[in-house]
Amino acid sequence: MFSGKTPVLLLLALLLASLYLMSGATHNSALFSRLYSVLLGINGLAIVLLVALIGKHMYRLVQQYRGHVAGSRLTARLVIMFIVLAVTPVSVVYYFSLDFLQRGIDSWFDVRVEKALDDSLELSRTSLDVRMRELLRQTRQMSPQLANTPDSMAALALNDIRSDSDATELTLFSPNGRIIASSGTDTSSIVPARPDDATMLQLRQGSDYVGLDPIRDSGLHVRVAVRVPSPNPVGESRVLQALYPVTDRMNTLANSVQAAYAQYKELAYLRKPLKYSFILTLSLVLLLSLLTAVWAAFFSARRLVAPITDLAEGTRAVAAGNYDKRLPLPGKDELGFLVRSFNEMTHKIALARDAAARSQQQAEAQHAYLEAVLVRLSSGVLTIDRNQVLHTSNPAADQILGVDLGAFVGRGLDEVRREHPHTRHFIDAIAPHVVEGEQEWRDEIILFGAGGRQVLMCRGTLLPDVADVSAGHVIVFDDITALIQAQRDAAWGEVARRLAHEIKNPLTPIQLSAERLRHKYLGKMDEKDADVLDRSTHTIVQQVEAMKEMVKAFSEYARMPRLDLEPIDLNAVINEVLDLYRGERSVKYLVNLDAKMPRVEGDIGRLRQLLHNLIKNALEAMESRGDARLSVTTRCMEEASCRFVEVRVQDNGPGIPGEMLGQLFEPYVTTKPKGTGLGLAIVKKIVEEHGGLLWAENPPSGGALVVIRLPVLTSNRGDDESDLTLALVNHKGNDDAAA
Amino acid sequence: MVFSTLACKNNKQERTRGRRFPWLAMVALCLVPLAPARASNPAFQIDHAGTTLDGDVYHLNANISYRFSQDALEALRNGVPLTIQLDIQVYHQRWWWWDKDLASLVQRYQLQYHALTKRYIVRNLNSGGQHSYSTLGGALHALGDIRKLPILDKNLVSADTSYKVRARVHLDIEALPAPLRPLAYISSGWRLGSKWYTWSLKR
Repeated sequence: MFSGKTPVLLLLALLLASLYLMSGATHNSALFSRLYSVLLGINGLAIVLLVALIGKHMYRLVQQYRGHVAGSRLTARLVIMFIVLAVTPVSVVYYFSLDFLQRGIDSWFDVRVEKALDDSLELSRTSLDVRMRELLRQTRQMSPQLANTPDSMAALALNDIRSDSDATELTLFSPNGRIIASSGTDTSSIVPARPDDATMLQLRQGSDYVGLDPIRDSGLHVRVAVRVPSPNPVGESRVLQALYPVTDRMNTLANSVQAAYAQYKELAYLRKPLKYSFILTLSLVLLLSLLTAVWAAFFSARRLVAPITDLAEGTRAVAAGNYDKRLPLPGKDELGFLVRSFNEMTHKIALARDAAARSQQQAEAQHAYLEAVLVRLSSGVLTIDRNQVLHTSNPAADQILGVDLGAFVGRGLDEVRREHPHTRHFIDAIAPHVVEGEQEWRDEIILFGAGGRQVLMCRGTLLPDVADVSAGHVIVFDDITALIQAQRDAAWGEVARRLAHEIKNPLTPIQLSAERLRHKYLGKMDEKDADVLDRSTHTIVQQVEAMKEMVKAFSEYARMPRLDLEPIDLNAVINEVLDLYRGERSVKYLVNLDAKMPRVEGDIGRLRQLLHNLIKNALEAMESRGDARLSVTTRCMEEASCRFVEVRVQDNGPGIPGEMLGQLFEPYVTTKPKGTGLGLAIVKKIVEEHGGLLWAENPPSGGALVVIRLPVLTSNRGDDESDLTLALVNHKGNDDAAA
Repeated sequence: MVFSTLACKNNKQERTRGRRFPWLAMVALCLVPLAPARASNPAFQIDHAGTTLDGDVYHLNANISYRFSQDALEALRNGVPLTIQLDIQVYHQRWWWWDKDLASLVQRYQLQYHALTKRYIVRNLNSGGQHSYSTLGGALHALGDIRKLPILDKNLVSADTSYKVRARVHLDIEALPAPLRPLAYISSGWRLGSKWYTWSLKR
């Protein structure tokens, strides 16, 4: 309500009205006179309004000043400056105006003028007195003429008398003041003016009356009242009143004197109130203009400071990161230019920020894409810098090396080497290439870890220098153990088939030939030769038999018969096989079978063979131990959305020698003096035929552990709901460690 | 009929005056604490007032005594004309709502000293008639003696309603010379007036 230009205009109008009032006061005009009180009230109201307005502004400013609001200090300074600038000259003017006013009004009055006016009044009276006495005499002469006139004839008599005199009106009153008759030239006034009570009293007391009477419209008149002699000596006398006009000239002069005197007298009487009134008016105008100035000071200071406050707020917003703030343009001056520049600046910053955000987003998307590719990659990828500090690794690298490399990002490879000694070979192998800064290199590295022997194919490339990453290497490596293994298996299969084919064929003729020799010459020879022949042929036949056995085993290994697949309860098969061994030796069987095991699809005969081979192998390994313990555990597992059955066969024997760990499942790899060396090779073959996976390791608790994983039949999820059965079979039996 | 139009006209006057009145009242209200009322201080008083039905017109007769303050008398002697206002209202009371004005009339008189003739002039500002008196007492007596002042036409009065008439007189400060007015508003010597004098309108 109190903002904008309307109140300014309103107050200006009030101010002008006050000025008009003041000028009116000087002239004492009728208009001013009528409006004086109203104007006084309006101005008073305006002052109250202004004071309230200024009070409000002042309060707000003080609040803002205390609250350290931006721009409040500048506003306060400007306001104080404006006020001082306005108050000082106005105060000076006020002081001198008051002085002039006092002196000016006093100078109107002069003792001599007053005296002169008194004298002129007296002079007028004196000159009129002469005329009045003359008229009194005339009237007194008239009264006897009426003495004997009865009341009914009085009107006519009065008319006669008046026509002979200067009187404009003659009236005859009864002693109690009632009009008996009247005669006048002025027909408009029907009722003649009756003498007042004081005059009547004077007349009753016996003295005649003569006096001046100002009559409206017709100027001064001389009123004479005389008693009319009564015919009856005891009766009360009637009264004759005559009105005589004063001559025009005299009237004008007397009026002029009267007017001047009255005005001067009034003015003199009003001197003090007039002074007060002028001072009041002046003070009012001064106060109004002063308050308006103060208010204007607030207004203009605010207007001046507003863009600065805006700028301060804008700067704060920009500092806080809000670049979308646009400031209102205050105008076309320098401040406006500043604000426009500020707006342009924030706009440009906002554009730059948006561009940066966009490119960052792109970079992030690219990074995420690369990350996804790296994660899905089956090859291990590492990046290291020149100081062998790890920068990137992918899950495949973790899996191949068996180390959570994510924890080592930003740390040196030395630390990986220290904490995971089995990576020693790998790190030692790549270090020279990195140190030498080879552009491209390729190396085959053999590792011995918990998973056994691993053959890694490693390729490294020098990375170009990037701004914040010192140039390093990207190393890509693959676990080619399985590949090599497959090649080796294929080779062995070929060897076995050849052997079976090439060796088996000549064996039967050799055996038959030896038997023929024996039949034909044994009886014919002497005792001594016959004995030699007998032993020799016996040896040939026996050895050929052994060779046949061996070739049969070979061919069995090499043969790839069709699997007779059916759903199998693996737990039942395990129990069945274990029952055969129970009671043979003092071996403690720890059987922990998962009751919720789903069925697997397999060839029951071959799975039985697999279990036989594994158990036999374990029992042989523990031959020398008194506290032999074999644990067989099954469980159903789910890993990487692939469901499978795991069979763990663990002994507490001497474990697998380190150098054999990688080749344990290859034919003719054995630690035992007896045996074909094909037992575990066949196990592996069977597992692979079933689409499974197996490995052997030396667990920290000692002994050897063989883990077999077989895929689950997809159709029979969660068939068995029976509890996990834990069977502890402790049986003493004879040692049967045939491989 | 003549008086009915007169009454109407006066009604209008009253209304125009009334519009200005609120802030005057406000100012007066603000100034009340400055001048505690005194019982025997100079004031106007209506000693008696009554109405008579003469023909078709109600007339007012009243006796009013004026006691001017020294301030007012001094101003009068120095040629300042004093204006006295007589307010007359005819109304009927309603218990369920505010009183209804039937007619209101304002009579204004001016009292002035004529230095040349040494007489006091009483002027009726409504009619324009004027009389002069050699003494102030005579003038005041003439002012206070109101005889046969027509106030209401009989036709305006309904027969089955009881009406009340009230009157009061006061010195019109607004008619004083402007420089005197601010002083007059805040000085008790200038705020002269009577209380309302109320009587029933006789038929």
